Amino acid sequence: MSVSEKDKMFAAACLKLVRQTVSSQRTLSLFSSTGSSSWTKVVSDAEKIVGYPTSFMSLRCLLSDELSNVAMHIRKLVGTQHPLLNTARGFVYDSKNNLQMRGLIVLLLSKAAGPNHAAADVLAQDMVSGIYPSQRNLAEIVELIHTAFLVHRGVVNLKEWSASDGLLKDMEFGNKMAVLSGDFLLANACTGLAQLNNTEVVELISSAIGDVVQGIYYENHSSAEDGLIDGVDVTSWEEQTFLTHGALLAKSCEAAMLLAKHDKQSQTLAHLYGKHLSLGHKLNSDLQPFVKGGVGEPLTFSLNAAPVVFHRQIVGEDRWHQHLQQATTLRNQLDYSKLLATVKSEKGVRSALDLCCFHSNKALEAIKAFPSSEARAALENIAFAVAKF
Amino acid sequence: MAAPWWRHITRWKRGCWSSAVSETLWPVTGRSASSSGFVPGLVGGSSEPGNEVKPSSQIFSKSLLSDVSLIRPRPRLPVAALQPLCCRSTHSDAKLKDPFTLAQKDLTTLYDDIKKELFVSRTELKSLCDYYFDGRGKAIRPIIVVLMARALNVHSNRSGDLLPGQRAIAMITEMIHTASLVHDDVIDGSDARRGKQSLNQVWGEKKAILAGDFILSAASMALARIGNITVVKVLSQVIEDLVRGEFMQLGSKENENERFKHYLEKTFKKTASLIANSCKAVSILVNSDPEVQEIAYQYGKNVGIAFQLVDDVLDFTSGAEQLGKPSAADLKLGLATGPVLFACQQFPELHAMIMRRFSSKGDVDRAWQYVLKSDGVQQTTFLARRYCQEAIRQVSLLRPSPERDALIRLTELVLSRDK
Repeated sequence: MSVSEKDKMFAAACLKLVRQTVSSQRTLSLFSSTGSSSWTKVVSDAEKIVGYPTSFMSLRCLLSDELSNVAMHIRKLVGTQHPLLNTARGFVYDSKNNLQMRGLIVLLLSKAAGPNHAAADVLAQDMVSGIYPSQRNLAEIVELIHTAFLVHRGVVNLKEWSASDGLLKDMEFGNKMAVLSGDFLLANACTGLAQLNNTEVVELISSAIGDVVQGIYYENHSSAEDGLIDGVDVTSWEEQTFLTHGALLAKSCEAAMLLAKHDKQSQTLAHLYGKHLSLGHKLNSDLQPFVKGGVGEPLTFSLNAAPVVFHRQIVGEDRWHQHLQQATTLRNQLDYSKLLATVKSEKGVRSALDLCCFHSNKALEAIKAFPSSEARAALENIAFAVAKF
Repeated sequence: MAAPWWRHITRWKRGCWSSAVSETLWPVTGRSASSSGFVPGLVGGSSEPGNEVKPSSQIFSKSLLSDVSLIRPRPRLPVAALQPLCCRSTHSDAKLKDPFTLAQKDLTTLYDDIKKELFVSRTELKSLCDYYFDGRGKAIRPIIVVLMARALNVHSNRSGDLLPGQRAIAMITEMIHTASLVHDDVIDGSDARRGKQSLNQVWGEKKAILAGDFILSAASMALARIGNITVVKVLSQVIEDLVRGEFMQLGSKENENERFKHYLEKTFKKTASLIANSCKAVSILVNSDPEVQEIAYQYGKNVGIAFQLVDDVLDFTSGAEQLGKPSAADLKLGLATGPVLFACQQFPELHAMIMRRFSSKGDVDRAWQYVLKSDGVQQTTFLARRYCQEAIRQVSLLRPSPERDALIRLTELVLSRDK
C-alpha cells in the first residue's frame, strides 16, 4: 500500500505537533504556557542565532512510511476519547507555540561554548553557524526522545475502559498506535545516538531516558486526584521533578559539550544550566494558575503542582486535609477556585516563587561562565524569562 | 496435492534432483518457480537482508545447483525418514556437546546480572522490570551468543573464554528481547506469557510500556559501556528493526508472492535481526576480519529465521499449556504466517480471509482447519530445515570446537522443539 504525499503531510503534521500535548491538567512542552509576546521574541531571536527554525527538526523521521501509516490509522481515532488524539489536535490549534525548546537550548549552548581550539584537529567535522553537525543531530535526538515520551504517556489502562465494548476497542487501537509511534521515535533516537560516534554520550543520554521513565512512573503512581501523596517536601519534589522534566535537558546539554570535547568544567556548567532552567520552568508553569489575574477561565490545576505541595508542607497534613474538605462540594467534587484561594492565602505560592527565582539565578550563574556571545545572551534571556510572571 | 515433503528427499537421493529441487521449494504450485525471494538466506551474500532476495528462479536454482552441500547427498545428510518432523543428527551424538550444558557455566548468573543492570530505586518499577528475568525464559538468544563467542574466540586463536564485552552482549540481547516482548504484549493485548500473566495484565498498559522503555534504556547503557561504537551501531540497528518489523505487521500485501517475501522480511526484522546482529557484535569484539563477522551474522540470521518459522508452526500444532501462551494466536491477531501462506496455495479460500485478517466470524477456526488439512505445516518446517542447513554450512567454516559443534546441534534443537 503506497502512501500518498497528502498522507505524508498529514503524518508530519500529526506527529510534529505531538509535543504540544493538550492534556487538560498540564502542558508538557517546555515554555508553551507563558504566552507573552516578549517570550515569542526571545525564541525567534534565538532561532535566528542557531541558523534555522528549530520547529522543522526531526521532520525527516516523521515523513517515514511507518509513521505515515500510523497517521492514517490515527484518523480512525477521531471521535474517540483516546489521549493520542488530543496531542494531535494541538497542532491544528496553533503553531505559534509549537516549540522544540530542548533542541533549541542544546543548539544555543553548543554555539555558546564555541569551537574547541585544543581539540580542533581531533574533530573531523565542520562547524555550521558555529555548531558541529553532531551537536545538531543531538538536538534532534533529544526532541525525538521528548516526543516519544509524550506519545507513550498517551497509553491508557484498558481496565478503566472495559465498561463499553466499543470504547474499549478504540482504546486498544489508540494504545497500539501510541506504543508503536513512541517506539519508532525511540528506536530512531537510538540509532541516531549510535551515529554520534561517542559511547560516553550514548550512555549519558540512555541514562536520561531511564530517568524520564522513572519520573513519569512515579508521577503516574502517585497522582491520585485527591492528592494523597504522603509527605512530599521541597527536596523530594525537586528530585522527582528533575527526573521527569530536568534530566533530559541537563544531560543533553552536558552531552553537547562532550561531543565537542569541551572540558569537564564546561560539561558540568552545561548540565547545571539545563537542570536549573528546567526546574525553574516547571515552577513557572505550576505557578501560572496562582499568579494569573484572569477570571472566568475554567480553572484546574494539579495537586502535585509546586505551590500546592509547598502549601501542604507548610500547613501540615491535618490542616491540609481540612482545606481539602472545605473545598469539596456536596457532590464530592473538588472546587478548584476555593482551593486556589486557600493556597494563595498561605505561603505556598511565595515559596514556589522564591524557588523559581532561585533556579533562574542558578541557571544564569552557570551560563555566565561561558564566554560572552549572542548565543549566551539568548540563553540568559531564556533564563530570565523563566522567572517572569 | 503435492507429495509430503520428505518424499522429495528420497528423490534427491535417487539423483533426480533438478526437477525435484524446484518442486521441493515450490512443491504446491504447479506454476514455474517464479516467486521472488522465497529463501533469501540460502544465497549467502552481504549482511544487508534486502540485497539477498534474488527474484529470478533461474539464478536461484543455479546457485542452489552450485551449492554442493545442499544437493549432493552426502553420508551426513539426513536419510529419508517416515516422520516428517523428526530431527536427525549430522554427527554422532557422542561427539556433539549439548548447547545448553555447554553454555550453562556462562549463563548461571545471567538473569541476576541483568537485574543488577536494572538500577532503579522505586520498588514497584523494579519488580516490573525484573518480572521476566526469573529464569523461566528459554534464554536461547544468550545461549547462541555465548556459544558463538567462544567458537569465534577459538577460531581467532584465543582461548575460548568469553571477553567481558561478549558476556555483556549476551545480557543485552536478552534485555532487548524482553523489552520488545513487553511492548508486543501491550500491542497484541496478550494476557499471558511464559506460563504466567503478562506484565500489562498485572499492572496495566501504562506501566508496562514504561517498564519496557526502562529495560531498553538499561540495555542501551550497558551497550555503551562496552566501549565499542561499532558494536553500539550494530545493536542499535536491531532496535530499529524490531519496531519496523512490528509496523510491517500492520499492513498486508495483496499479491501472493509479495506476501511471502513480506513475511520473511518481517521475520528477519522481528526475530532474526537480533540474533544475527548479536552474533556479529561478539565477532567484532574478537576478530576484525569481515568474513568472520559475516559467518557469525549469517549463522545468527539463518537460525533466527528458522526459529521463528518453527514458532509459527507451533502456533498451529501445539496446545496452549505447552507454549505458555495461547495458540492460534497469530490467526487471532490477523497475522498470516508460513503455514497459512503455504496452505493458501491449496485452499484459495484463504486469500480472502488473509486480506481481511481473519476478522469475520468463524475465520480463525476455518483457517486453522484448512492449514491442518494442507501441508502448510510440513512445508514451513521444511523451509526451516533449509535455513538450518545454511546456518550449519556457515558455522562449519569456523575452526572446530565444542562450541561450534554445539551451535550445529542447536539448529536441530530449534527444529525439534515443542515449545
